[in-house]
Amino acid sequence: MKAFLKKEWMEWKRTGRMLVLLLIFALFGIMNPAAAKLTPWLMETLSESLADTGLVTTTVTVDAMTSWVQFYKNIPMTLLVFVLLCSGTFTGEYQRGTLIPVVTKGLSRRKILASKSLLLSGGWTALYLIGFGITYVYNAYFWDNSIAKNLLFAAVCNWLFGVWVIAFLVFFSTVAQNSAQVMLETGGVVMGIYLLHMFPRFQTFLPAKLIEGLALLQGAESPESYYAAMTAAGVSIVLCMAASVVCFDQKRL
Amino acid sequence: MELLTLSHVAKGFGEKEVLRDVSFTIPEHTVFGFVGQNGAGKTTTMKLILGLLLADRGEITLNGMPVCYGNTPTNRFVGYLPDVPEFYSYMTAVEYLRFCGEIAGMTKGEMENRSAELLCLVGLDKEKGRIKGFSRGMKQRLGIAQALFGRPKLLICDEPASALDPTGRRELLDILAAAKQQTTVLFSTHILSDVEHICDQVAFLHKGEIVLQGSVEEVCKSKKTAGTELETERPEDARMLLLEFPFLKPLEKKRLLLEEPERQWEILKFVADHRLALLRMEQREMDLEDLFLEVVGK
Repeated sequence: MKAFLKKEWMEWKRTGRMLVLLLIFALFGIMNPAAAKLTPWLMETLSESLADTGLVTTTVTVDAMTSWVQFYKNIPMTLLVFVLLCSGTFTGEYQRGTLIPVVTKGLSRRKILASKSLLLSGGWTALYLIGFGITYVYNAYFWDNSIAKNLLFAAVCNWLFGVWVIAFLVFFSTVAQNSAQVMLETGGVVMGIYLLHMFPRFQTFLPAKLIEGLALLQGAESPESYYAAMTAAGVSIVLCMAASVVCFDQKRL
Repeated sequence: MELLTLSHVAKGFGEKEVLRDVSFTIPEHTVFGFVGQNGAGKTTTMKLILGLLLADRGEITLNGMPVCYGNTPTNRFVGYLPDVPEFYSYMTAVEYLRFCGEIAGMTKGEMENRSAELLCLVGLDKEKGRIKGFSRGMKQRLGIAQALFGRPKLLICDEPASALDPTGRRELLDILAAAKQQTTVLFSTHILSDVEHICDQVAFLHKGEIVLQGSVEEVCKSKKTAGTELETERPEDARMLLLEFPFLKPLEKKRLLLEEPERQWEILKFVADHRLALLRMEQREMDLEDLFLEVVGK
């Protein structure tokens, strides 16, 4: 398994995937406090032209919470980029036939699945930490992070949502033949969960609740109300991985 | 000892039945040629042996163990060269072979020695670039190196010479013939001269069944001779023979084919009586190509 992990790592580095994701997540980390910092200046610049149209702008005060609002607005976009760039992790190998020499050398399919899943979730974790860390440090430097409640818990919920999406990405990768199918199916599940989440009856336990970090930060909700969604995400991750093992064992390469 | 046994194996894709009933065995340390037209099912058979496809019927055993679909433990004994080998384009040849060695659990020293030895054997020892810049022939050479890397008991090659130039093809055949000392080789081809050059055993696959099988000599001998060829010095002599013996088949102006060997005395008598200038009279041996054309009914 170590050999395949090393190969995966080399693939991330040499195909440029890691660099692109690193840049995007670092940029995302910087953008949140930058957007907050620039808001007063932007409002000031626009105030004159707005005054001509009859709109009166008042002085805007920004704090760490403004930056965290940006963070929770932008994180789904970065997750989407991550899924787009990683959707071909398995299917690219099926299409090129590169797994055939590996499997016919006796490497167990489960080790291949485990290596790829580990690197995907590990990559997400590291990149998320970078994005979160940059925003956190800038916010601490410019303002005060203590204004946000349950900051770490909210971050963990968001991270878990990412892992949940990755679990589906892995599962659909063991079923589908190309990356377009993987993206469509993963996107379909996430969209479906979002739609169900609109019904109040399902809101408490659907994983879509995990990205509502702002409610935690503002103290509108307590961590306890997220436990059901966390459990649901955990259970579906385990189920997805179990189904992936069965499907990948039978997959025609 | 038999290394590989296929017993009544069948495989279809949807409506199409590719293999109907395939049975053959390969003893250890032989080079086994697997011959068939394009689309005859050679690749399908190989993929079944590798557990990459699920057989509809029949059994396959390799080194005494049954082959199963998906995660088959028998792949530990196999080296495989696909018809169009594809490797990780961002690696160099040395890195790829090291990766193969790590999968097989080799030590670092062992890996380095084996890489150097095999890259030299396939002529890629001076190639430092990444695989993405390799031609198809170079990939084929790397394919042979990776297939032989773990010293497999069975080396399966799917049309290994198809992308190589004549020199490369000759070298490859020499490598396969030399590999016989350490391993057993199963290779598919439709180039029959390659089979004649290096194979001990041959099997012809046609319409999903093995239509002919045995050692190359046995298979050639099992069929009747293709006839006797006559060549005269002058074309008019050939025409005279043809008029007298209409059962002769004209091949060229001065060449005729006799398919009934018992009548050759009549012809020889006629030649002597009429003092015809006969250049050559030769029994034509049926080679694999004639045999192949005969079994596929063309």
